[in-house]
Amino acid sequence: MSFGDEFLRHPDLFPGRRSGEPWGSGSLALDVPGGPYLVAGLAATQIEALETRFGRLCRGVTETTATGRSGIATAVFRAPAADFVDLDTRGWEYTLALDHAERSVRVAGLRLMARLDWAPGLAGGLWTPEAAGEEWASVLENYLRLLAAYRLLAEGGVLLHSAGVTDGTSAWLLLGPAGAGKTTASRLCLEAGAEVLSDDLNAVIVQEGGRAVVARLPFTGDLGERQGGSPGDPGEYPLRGLLRLRQGPGASLVPLSRASALAALIAAAPYANRDPFRHEALLAVCERLALAAPAWELTFSLGSDLWSILRAVQE
Amino acid sequence: MTAITGSTVLRRRADVRYRRIEGEAVVLRQSAAEVLVLNGVGAAVLDLADGLRPVGEWIDALALKYGADRETVARDVLEFAGEAEEAGLLEALPAIPATSGEKDEDGG
Repeated sequence: MSFGDEFLRHPDLFPGRRSGEPWGSGSLALDVPGGPYLVAGLAATQIEALETRFGRLCRGVTETTATGRSGIATAVFRAPAADFVDLDTRGWEYTLALDHAERSVRVAGLRLMARLDWAPGLAGGLWTPEAAGEEWASVLENYLRLLAAYRLLAEGGVLLHSAGVTDGTSAWLLLGPAGAGKTTASRLCLEAGAEVLSDDLNAVIVQEGGRAVVARLPFTGDLGERQGGSPGDPGEYPLRGLLRLRQGPGASLVPLSRASALAALIAAAPYANRDPFRHEALLAVCERLALAAPAWELTFSLGSDLWSILRAVQE
Repeated sequence: MTAITGSTVLRRRADVRYRRIEGEAVVLRQSAAEVLVLNGVGAAVLDLADGLRPVGEWIDALALKYGADRETVARDVLEFAGEAEEAGLLEALPAIPATSGEKDEDGG
């Protein structure tokens, strides 16, 4: 199987550069960690769908660039629906197809083609037949997850498959492979009074001086808030601890070695951990994080008072 | 799989990236996106696998460093080196044939 052929009818015609027919002349900025992400070439219906999904994270491009913040640009282009394979997605786990090179990444997915280019700054191109609605918003979100992973890495951060929970002051990240219990643990914490940042993807940024903060992302699974939290939400929370999850009888908290924490972080870093050209950068960021944050293996069951255990964790 | 002996020369595969952290090593194999945690012996072997020194020299160096019995160190190192080669972390270099000058000397 070669790159993209599970999604594309003509993978050999994959765009070699960021060009094509835009959907429209509209644009917006998404104020998401690692960004802002500037999206251009949009139809009015596409802007409406993004505003519905991402709410107050959507800004005007002029308003954003006027603040002096440089953004990561993505151009959106039309692609014929006939270029994409019709897939039955029932019971299917969606994974983007990626083709890595030193200065670019090619992406194929459900009704999307995309490429990221470093020339030398990062910029993206996205081709899709989706003109509006949830389907289009999902195409953009799937692309944005990837873009945010690369952008965060370049900024000294990392995107992590994890559950993030907060008491409004600090945050805890729960790590583990699919089925480890991230959503279950999030639900237990939520029921006990915690706020769930996301039970799917969270951003961690290691600041100057080695302080790690968890930044809220709009990429949620079953739990979490896609529109930036409530007004006044700080958006970033100091990281109190990393917890590698294990479901088992009772509840216990066992310190994790720095090396085991580092391994858990790398395993939880989607996209970047499959890109051989970014492994050195990923190791460097995750090592800083493993040294900055205390880590434990947390065994829990449905009856565990997980939230009390987390809050008892000392920095 | 190569039979690892004291004269085998091994090096880390080009797609292996690793970090030493508090005595252990975290290894990332690029081709497999696989993460492994190695203990102190494993970490030391990765450091030593430069494709220049034969395994016997690693054993000498580690026995000296840890003040340990050479036979015990040799057993651990050979066992780990074999596993690491099988796991695709290390690769054996071909044995270097004697130089033509040496042959001439040997041949008189």
